Amino acid sequence: MGSPVLDKGPEAGVPEVRRLKSDGTPWRERLFQLSLWASLAVGVVFLGCLLVYIVVEAWPRLNFRILTNFPDIIDPSQAGAQSAIMGTIWVIGFTALYCLPVGFLTAIYLEEYADPERWWNRAVEINIQNLAAVPSIVYGILGLGIISRGLGFGQTVLTASLTLSLLVLPTVIIAAREAIRAVPQSIREASLALGATQWQTIWRQVLPAAVPGMATGSILALSRAIGEAAPLLLLGGLTFITFNPTGPESAFTVLPIQIFNWISQSRSEFVSLAAAAIVILLVILLAMNSLAIWLRNRYSHRW
Amino acid sequence: MTTEPSRRIQRLRRRALRSAQTAAVASPSNAPDAPDAPDSTTAPRVSFRDAPPLTTPVFEVGSLSVFYGDHEAVRDVNMTIGDRQITAMIGPSGCGKSTMIRCFNRMNDLIPTARVVGKIRYHGENLYGKEVDPIEVRRRIGMVFQKPNPFPKSIYDNIAYGPRVGSFKGNLDDLVEETLTRAALWDEVKDKLKTSALALSGGQQQRLCIARTIAVKPEVILMDEPCSALDPIATAKIEDLMEHLAQEFTIVVVTHNMQQAARVSHRTAFFTSDVDVKGERHGRLVEYDETERIFSNPSDQRTEDYISGRFG
Repeated sequence: MGSPVLDKGPEAGVPEVRRLKSDGTPWRERLFQLSLWASLAVGVVFLGCLLVYIVVEAWPRLNFRILTNFPDIIDPSQAGAQSAIMGTIWVIGFTALYCLPVGFLTAIYLEEYADPERWWNRAVEINIQNLAAVPSIVYGILGLGIISRGLGFGQTVLTASLTLSLLVLPTVIIAAREAIRAVPQSIREASLALGATQWQTIWRQVLPAAVPGMATGSILALSRAIGEAAPLLLLGGLTFITFNPTGPESAFTVLPIQIFNWISQSRSEFVSLAAAAIVILLVILLAMNSLAIWLRNRYSHRW
Repeated sequence: MTTEPSRRIQRLRRRALRSAQTAAVASPSNAPDAPDAPDSTTAPRVSFRDAPPLTTPVFEVGSLSVFYGDHEAVRDVNMTIGDRQITAMIGPSGCGKSTMIRCFNRMNDLIPTARVVGKIRYHGENLYGKEVDPIEVRRRIGMVFQKPNPFPKSIYDNIAYGPRVGSFKGNLDDLVEETLTRAALWDEVKDKLKTSALALSGGQQQRLCIARTIAVKPEVILMDEPCSALDPIATAKIEDLMEHLAQEFTIVVVTHNMQQAARVSHRTAFFTSDVDVKGERHGRLVEYDETERIFSNPSDQRTEDYISGRFG
């Protein structure tokens, strides 16, 4: 591997000196960079416009009345979204309660116990990925037919949270599996080689290492559930509820449905009310996503 | 403890000298048919260790074959591993030595397609018998891996993990201190037991892994290329530790490094990968004998070729 200068041999005479000076960035590379920036700008500018527009629209109603008052069909200036905010908290709380344990256990089974060679495990896997792509309205139909009417749970917080659980379950499972898979095999081997059982290995090594990733994925999945209106509309999520839910059996409304209801009113005061509710929904979503990012950065592992 | 550093440095010097000699001698010996090559490269450099007798075997392996699916990784291995001595397994990549060592504590059970045919007896008991609990097997036969793999926990918790999962009753603090002392790591880490094990250097991590293994009081320690990710000084420390531990434990070590096998082991098994008449590649045990014999007067031509650097 001699240098090119030596390879030419002595008869080649004085070798040409290669300059280090740059000819400037080639235009193709610039064009490529520009198109990258442009694509990024589409998303960011659009989101920025949306936020500004919503905040401007909502400005007259961004006060504490929206948090403390209940919907009022007669006097929009006195109307608030308290029942919808509380309804959202109740529904999402129960959704988390149902879907997180089921999702995590499923993920543990699929990653740690299931033999991927078996056809039924592969079938379950493909199904879960397909379910994640099913439109949410279909889950609404399922909830209406089976949970609300079939099981007779009616138009309650319970029905809504079970339906949303089914909706986000595939996402939770996929995120949890990713997190479990990211735990290096060498950690499992080390634990098993010390005479730990498989369950001890999962409980004491794999899960603690995977929990940050699982939590991040779950929060993102739940924030998707918060924004869902379609399946709940189908479930007959009531649009005019002037009381907070008192339990899983209670009737409810949630923010997306409340927003939908206010937007469809003709008076312009209701439109700014809807915008204010959107701002609240966005604040909740951003808070949840920030928590997810914080968790990821705070507890991410170096291996 | 006080004399140790200087002794260690002397050893290192000797070792550096030796490898320099090897390099000098090994290159001409690459010429084919150098009749005295193995003798001149190996005999004068290493003072071999006397192998204790095999009167109380720990493992008896009989016509053992290991399959991954349809692929036969190791074929028809027969060997006996003795009590409280270091047995080295050497051979080129893909010859099945790692597969072999993972049979001894049933780590191959974790690979769904792996299948073990033949016999491994541990103190006369069939290791793969139906009633044998692999968890108990791994408590008695510990393992250290190629890449240091401490848990992402404190040094203390790393040592205490094995005893804890084994429902250890007693004073954990004492056990941790005793274990780290036996692994010659106590002085280096006694002030930072609560810090993360991942903050240690690679060599310290690997010694922590060895300490973690002996904390469950096994009888056998299996080491799968324990030094391949370490620098020469860390390697020397691990080798010192192995020599020291061999007084109490039976050690089986897989290594790519022939000098290491020659330096630390009492007996050496040489594996190679062979192609049979049907064209299937499989690992085979070529020769298993006292280390001195393997390195000075091997009975198989392939062993001689391998240790004199002619292939592999």
